[in-house]
Parts: sequence; C-alpha cells; structure tokens
Amino acid sequence: MGLLKRLLLVATGLILAVGAAAADTTVKWLHIEANPAQVKIWEEVARAYEAAHPGVRIEMQFLENEAYKAKLPTILQSKDRPHIIYSWAGGVLKAQIEAGVLEDITDQVKGYSDTITPAALAAFTQNGRVYGLPIALSQVGFLYNKELVAKANVDPAKIKTWDDLLAAVKALKAAGLTPIVVGGADKWPLHFYWTHLAVRIGGRAAFDAALRGENGGFEGETFQKSGELFKQLVDLQPFQNGFLGFKNPQAVGYFGDGKAAMTLAISTVYHLQRALAADKVGLGEDKIGWFDFPVVPGGKGEPTDTLGGITGWLITKGAPKEATDFLEFFISKDVQTKLATGNFLIPVVKGAEVGLNNAFMKQIADNLAKSNYHQNFYDQSLGPSVGRVVNDVTAEIAGGSMTPQQAATAIQAAWKQGN
Amino acid sequence: MRGYSDAPLLATAESSPWLLARRSISDGRFAVLVLFLPPALLLFTLFVVLPIGEAAWYSGFNWNGFGRPTAWIGLDNYRFVLETHAFWLALRNNGLIIAVSLLIQLPLALTLALILAERFRGVVALRMLFFLPYILAEIATGLIFSFVYDGDYGLVASIWHWFGAEAPHLLANTQTAMVAVLIVIVWKYFGFHMMLYIAALQGMDRSLIEAARIDGATRPQLLRYVVIPTLYPTIRLSVFFSIVGSLQLFDLVMPLTRGGPADSSNTLVTFLYNNGISRMRVGYGSAIGVILFVICVTFAFTYKRWFMRDE
Amino acid sequence: MNDVETSRPQLDPAVLYKALFLAVVATFVLVPLLATVLGGFKSLGELRVNPFGLPHRWEWSNYADILFSGRYWQLLRNSLIISTLTVTLTLIVASMAAFTFAHVTFFGSSMLLSYLTLGLLFPAATAVLPLFIKVRDLGLLDSYFGVVLPQVAFSLAMSILLLRRFFKDLPHELLEAALVDGCTYINFFRYVTLPLSRPILATVGTITFVNSWNSYLLPLVMLNTDDLYPWPLGIMVYQGEYSSEWSLILAFITLTILPTIILFIFAQKHIVAGLTAGAVKG
Repeated sequence: MGLLKRLLLVATGLILAVGAAAADTTVKWLHIEANPAQVKIWEEVARAYEAAHPGVRIEMQFLENEAYKAKLPTILQSKDRPHIIYSWAGGVLKAQIEAGVLEDITDQVKGYSDTITPAALAAFTQNGRVYGLPIALSQVGFLYNKELVAKANVDPAKIKTWDDLLAAVKALKAAGLTPIVVGGADKWPLHFYWTHLAVRIGGRAAFDAALRGENGGFEGETFQKSGELFKQLVDLQPFQNGFLGFKNPQAVGYFGDGKAAMTLAISTVYHLQRALAADKVGLGEDKIGWFDFPVVPGGKGEPTDTLGGITGWLITKGAPKEATDFLEFFISKDVQTKLATGNFLIPVVKGAEVGLNNAFMKQIADNLAKSNYHQNFYDQSLGPSVGRVVNDVTAEIAGGSMTPQQAATAIQAAWKQGN
Repeated sequence: MRGYSDAPLLATAESSPWLLARRSISDGRFAVLVLFLPPALLLFTLFVVLPIGEAAWYSGFNWNGFGRPTAWIGLDNYRFVLETHAFWLALRNNGLIIAVSLLIQLPLALTLALILAERFRGVVALRMLFFLPYILAEIATGLIFSFVYDGDYGLVASIWHWFGAEAPHLLANTQTAMVAVLIVIVWKYFGFHMMLYIAALQGMDRSLIEAARIDGATRPQLLRYVVIPTLYPTIRLSVFFSIVGSLQLFDLVMPLTRGGPADSSNTLVTFLYNNGISRMRVGYGSAIGVILFVICVTFAFTYKRWFMRDE
Repeated sequence: MNDVETSRPQLDPAVLYKALFLAVVATFVLVPLLATVLGGFKSLGELRVNPFGLPHRWEWSNYADILFSGRYWQLLRNSLIISTLTVTLTLIVASMAAFTFAHVTFFGSSMLLSYLTLGLLFPAATAVLPLFIKVRDLGLLDSYFGVVLPQVAFSLAMSILLLRRFFKDLPHELLEAALVDGCTYINFFRYVTLPLSRPILATVGTITFVNSWNSYLLPLVMLNTDDLYPWPLGIMVYQGEYSSEWSLILAFITLTILPTIILFIFAQKHIVAGLTAGAVKG
C-alpha cells in the first residue's frame, strides 16, 4: 500500500475512534414519581441539562413505589443498574452503603453541598462521606375532605388527642360515610398509624432505646401500647370496604374522588390526589384540610415531633461523573424553587422555601422546621428486612390475624435476626 | 443374537479390548459420547444440580447477596423460617390447594372425561374449550381473575350491584382470599386432567365393557368395576401432577393477591419470593428453598414407591 | 355403545342432566374470558355498569393505542426471542444427549440417567435464589441468556427422557444397516434419526415453547431493564401503572394472550398431544 493510502486509513481510524469516544454518555435515572405533572417538570430539567451538556443523555425509568421497593435489591445486583436511584435514607441506605453498591460523591459535591439544609444532607451522609443528595422533606399527617367532615359535624381543628380521633371516626361512620381510606395492600400506608403512635407514646427516647435493645427493645411498653391503640382504631372498622386489597395509588385516587373523609398520608398526597383521581382534578385547595397526628395523653413524645421522610437520590457505584453533575443541576435553587412554587415538595436547598406560596405547604414546612425529632419512616429507617416486617405485622393487626403483642414480638425477633 | 449396535464399549470375553476400542472410534461411538453428552450434563449440573447444593450452603449464612457470604449462622435460618407465622400459613395453603385439587378438581375432570370421551357433535370443540384455560399463562389467568374478583368493577361485584348491595372485596379479605385463589386453580387445571382421562378412556379395551354388559352390568356398576379400575394408572399420574404442580404455584397467586392480604394466601413459592428475593435475604430464602426441595423429593420418592410400583 | 332403544321420542333425562352440566362448566370457563375480551372495548364507566354484555359503544381506542404503541410489540419480540432460543438449544442439546443414551452403552449410563431424572423431582423455584446468584456471577443478569440457559437446563430432564424413548423405539435394523455401510454414529444421527424424529421433536418443542412463553418467575428474577421484559413481566408493569383503569388492562391482557390462543386454534392436536404426552411418558 502506498504511504498516502496508509495515512488515510490511520486518519479514518482516528476519526472513528474519537467519534466513538465523544459518543453519548447515558445517565440512567430510576424514579417512583407517579404524579405526571411533576414528572413533566423533571423531564424539562433533564432536557435543559442535555442541551447544556451535549453528548449526555438522561434516560428516565419509572417503577411504582411498592414495586420499586421489592425490585431494588435485585436491580442493584445487576451490572446494568441505574445510576441514580430514589431513596428514603435510613437503615436501608446504611445497608446499601455497607454492601458497597453506592458511589462516594463527597469530593464531587464539595462546595455545592453547602447550599443544602444541613439536616437534610446529614441523612445522606455516613461517617462524613456523602452518597447521595436529598431532594425533599415531607410530613405524615391527616388530610381531610372538608365537605365530608362537615356532613358529620366533625371539626378537625378539635381533634387533638387519640380519643378525639376515635370519636370523630365514630361520628363519620354514624353519618354513613367512609371515615378513612388506606392502601392496605401495599402495607406501608398502614404502618404509619403504628409508628406515629410510637412517636407520640415514647418519643425519640423510646426509639433510641429500642435500637440499643433496652427496655425489651421493640417488644417494650411503647410498642405494645402502639399496637393496642392501633387495634382500637381497627376495631371501629374505619377503613374503606376492601382496604386490604387497595394499593396506595388506588387509595390516593379514592380520596381524590371524594369518597372518604380522611387519610393518614405523606404531605405530598395533597398534590398527588389530583393526578390520581378519576377525573384527574381531585379535591381543590379549598376542599382539603390538614391536621397533625393526635397526641396520646401521657405520652412522652412532643406534640411537635414529626414522622415523615427525607427523600433524595443516590448515586450507584460505577456511575459516570455526569450523573452526580446532573443531580447537582437538578437539586439547585432554581429547580427547587420552581417545584416549591408548584407545591410539589418541601425543598431542601436553602432559600428555595420562598417558592412555597400555598398555606398548606407553608404549614408543613413550618411543622418540619419546628420539629426537634423528625422520625424517618420505620420501614426505611429500620433497614430492609426489619422494615418490611414492621409493614407485615401492622397489616396483620389491621387484618385481625395478629395481636399487638405478637406484632411487637415479631419485630423484636426480626431486629435480633438482623438485616 | 446381540445386535451390532448394542456392542458395549467395555471389553467382553468375546473380543479383545483393542479391537473394541478401535471399532468404537471408527464408527464414531466414542465421538458421540465425548461430544454429545457433555453439553447437556454441563448445563444440567451448572443450573439445576449446583444451585440446590448452593442453596443448602447459603442457607447457613446471614447474607444479603452482595459479595460473598460471611456471617455463618448454622441452622438458625431454618429456625427463623419455622418461627415465622407466614411460613405455616403458606404450608397450610399448599395443603389446601392439594386437597382441593384432589377432592374437587379431579372428580370434576373425571366426570367431564366420561361424558366427553364419547363421540357426538361438538365434542371436540367442548374438549378444546375446557383445555383452553390450561394453555393460558398463569400470570394472565391471575390478572383476568383479579378483574373478575375486583370489588368495584369485577364480575362478582356486578352481581352484588344488581341486587343493590355493596360488593365484598373477596381478594382483600383474609377469610375469602384463599378460597378465591382455589377457585381460579380449579378453573385453570381441570381441563388438563380431563384430557388425560379422555386419552386413557379412548385407549381402553372395549371388549371388557362388552363382556361386562353381556353379564348384565348396569351403568353404575360398569363405572365402578370396569372403567375406573382401568383408569387407576392415569388417576395416579394425575394425582402426582396435581400435587407437584400445587407445590410450585406462584405465577397464579401474584397478580391476584401477591400472597396477601396479610400473608393469608401465600404459597411456599410466593413466600420464598417475598422474603428471599424481594428482601434479598439469601440465606433465609435458601432455607425455604431447601425445605421445599425436601418436601418435593420426599413426596416424589414416597409416591413412586408406594403408588406407582408397577410403572 | 348405545343400548338398543325402544321407540321413545322423549328425551332421556340423563342426557338433559349431562347437557346442563356441560353448559354450566362451559359458562364457568367462557365468562371470564369473554368479559376480558369485551371489557377492552368498553369505557371504564360502562365497564362498571355493564360488565357482562356487549359494549353499547365500541371503544376501539383501547386496543388501537396498545397495538400502535411500540411497547406491546417489544414485549412480544422479547418473548419470541427468549422462547425460540430456549426451544432451539433444548432440542439440540437434549436430542444429542438422548441419542447417546439410546444407542451408546457405557459405564455409568444408567447412573447418569437417574441423575438427570433428579431434575424432574423439584421445580426451578426451589433453587431460584442460588440460581440468581450464579447468573449474576456469570455476568448474565439482565440478558436473554440469563433466562434462556436456566430454562433449557430445567427442561433437559423431561426432554431427554422423551427423546430417548422415541429414539430407542426406532427400528434397530436401520442403525445396523448403516453401520455395516460404514456410516458413523454422528452421521446416522444427522441423516436418519433426526428426520425420523419430527413428531417427537415437535412435541418436545411445543412443550418447551409453551412453558417458556408463559414463564414469569425466572424472567422476573433475572431481568431488570424493561427493554428486555417478555410479555408476562410487561403485563404486570402495565397493570402497576394503570392500576384501576381496567378497560385498558383488559385490552392489554387480551392482546397478550391472543398469540397463545391463535397458536392453540391452529395447532390444537399438537399442543394437546404434546402437553399430555409429556405427562404420561414422563
């Protein structure tokens, strides 16, 4: 071959090689957001990032909440696992860090991490190393349908104690209404009752003691009592017909359709019920109200204690740098303010709260700010295995196949077995 | 005279080993042995036999699947399994499935087979119709029936609505969920057993029946003393498949109830999936697998020994 | 088998009972299926008030939307790829092994045969966790072969036994004559055994195909990217997304079981023979 031809070949080869190297990096993003309105904004952010960073593609994948929790362990084993995954922090995060499936992004987020509220960032940090970024805070409480409670002459503002709640349920039933809707099939919506009772009865002290194995651990007095009080509620038959077969999206839709008076849910349901209602409109702002979970007289918990989540995103091991980069872009003041304005979430970036223009959201943000003890969802904070046992046993109490005593014993046994 | 093709590769007194070896190489028998057998053995050992051994091994650890198992806990996983309420529920449910299969499904299949083994207009269409549920995927069947049982939109619900009442959510009630699942199981499998019996009935020796007829036997007597005894081998087979199939049930239950509500409709395999795979408790899940394996193998051996001695 | 009847024009009550019984069973089988097919043509509101009957307004959009979305065809494509790979590999590997067992006597052959029969005793489900770990370690998680290879392995026992029985039943003289003519065993396999074994190969192929096509647990555990999902996984994801929109879900179910039903209509005898023969001879 002549020299010219050889040079041409080499040149072509080089161009192809460079071309291949400059090819797209794909960032795989797995999320559980069921609200199409919010997903739309996320997609816009993704496209904006792609426009600003040519050669990077953001690929979004959706899994429903419960399906996500069930499949995540197997997904993380695959070499094709997504780069950005959703997280509720807590013990599950701890287990994931220990298993070595997450990427330590401390160095990459230096400087940026100062823009995030410290408490929120702390949830995603372990031993000083950061593994993900928070995106939102949320609180669990009672959402109620103003029209329906009025029909039964129930005034939610007066529901302060657990007994007040039981009385309200009885009144609603007497008026022929469905007092509470819950997604029993997914189990975790039921565990809110049990855990919030524990928060009210024993406060932070009881939880920490149980973790240390003191006072009989999760078989201790606080948790027995939680089960018993929960059973009191269950015995009133407050839930919708067939509640053990309702998945959470169905239950939220049911509330949005105006078929039940109350639901104990995460604050984000305020917005979500609009998307999941049959008419896609749901209950308007003026038709929904909120009251905090009632106190238990004699309980050691503070009325300001909150149960809820600090949710965010994790970067899995081996993810490209662009994944973290995109996350910083996504959890930025602009985007967070935009989402706050849309009342989709309570932001974690300092200064973005100004976007909250809605009385409801402002109140939740307020509650969270005032709280000294923000308990993360038990089924996440206790770790993957024990967490699911908590869900199982609360569902069994609700279904009548387990006594509160047995439930507490089961959780303690699972805790001892470890994750 | 022993055929040429049966000549063994081992030496016999009749021919020298050297000749035999040369012959077996030249006619390619050796090549067949070396090329044709290993792939099957390799695949089978790697994906069927080893995993069972590994299940026994993993069941001794507390392991979440990442890296290698390190926390040896001996037989503790088995103890945990036996202490779990849901395990006993699953075991009970598998027992219920077997009972229903034997006491309801098989007699139904047999009755239908007796009617449909004849020849009349439309019999083939009927046979095919009844066999159809069997070839549908379990997962599709489960989904179809989750619609049928739905408390708001389902077929069952609409019957209640017709009477103006609010329909029960059968799949959401711990008392009725398992019953609902059992009905679906009968729906799905009776056709298969029916076809087995029809095949046997059609292959039956007619002269026996004629002889009995001539002796003055009535129809019921014919059935009891001639037909059914001839069917014993097929019935035994049918029972075997019923039980083995019942132990494996998974796909059907998942769309209906996922094993719920509150674990009331779990089968051993859904229990394994929910606890072993969904939570990546590999040791615990493997222990369940080993228990299931022991049940299957014990059953297979006992059954073959006691009931299928002449097979 | 009819008795000689005297001239009696009335209906024999036994026939009436039989007919009634058959009608009840037929209804039991048909109603859920028809309701599913028709349900896809109704709007959600109508489904609630009129679940059994024909739709008052035929909503073609449910079915059309699914048929025109790429998703449905991707699911079918994945199922087809997985099932075809499984059947092909099973037939090749099993027939080779069966041939060896049928015609080559060697030390330990009956032991090996019993070894293989072990595989009939327990379902894949018992070993699914270690299987998952093994497939992961082989790097086959999230790939077609991660599903195909275990499926092939678990169908080997039944397939080898069926094929071996058939091969043994072929006339001896064929092999003897071939060997006298200097034909090697392998050539005999290729040019005589296989062509003559079309019926049994079709039977084994059918059983394997149907089992693979309908399989749910194995793909559920091995596959995590929805691009690769076969239709049983796809249908569950669809149901998860559209939870209460039954008319959509029913349309989807109908379309996904349609291939099976069409195959059944055209290959009835084969499928029945295959699935029941598998049971009897096994």
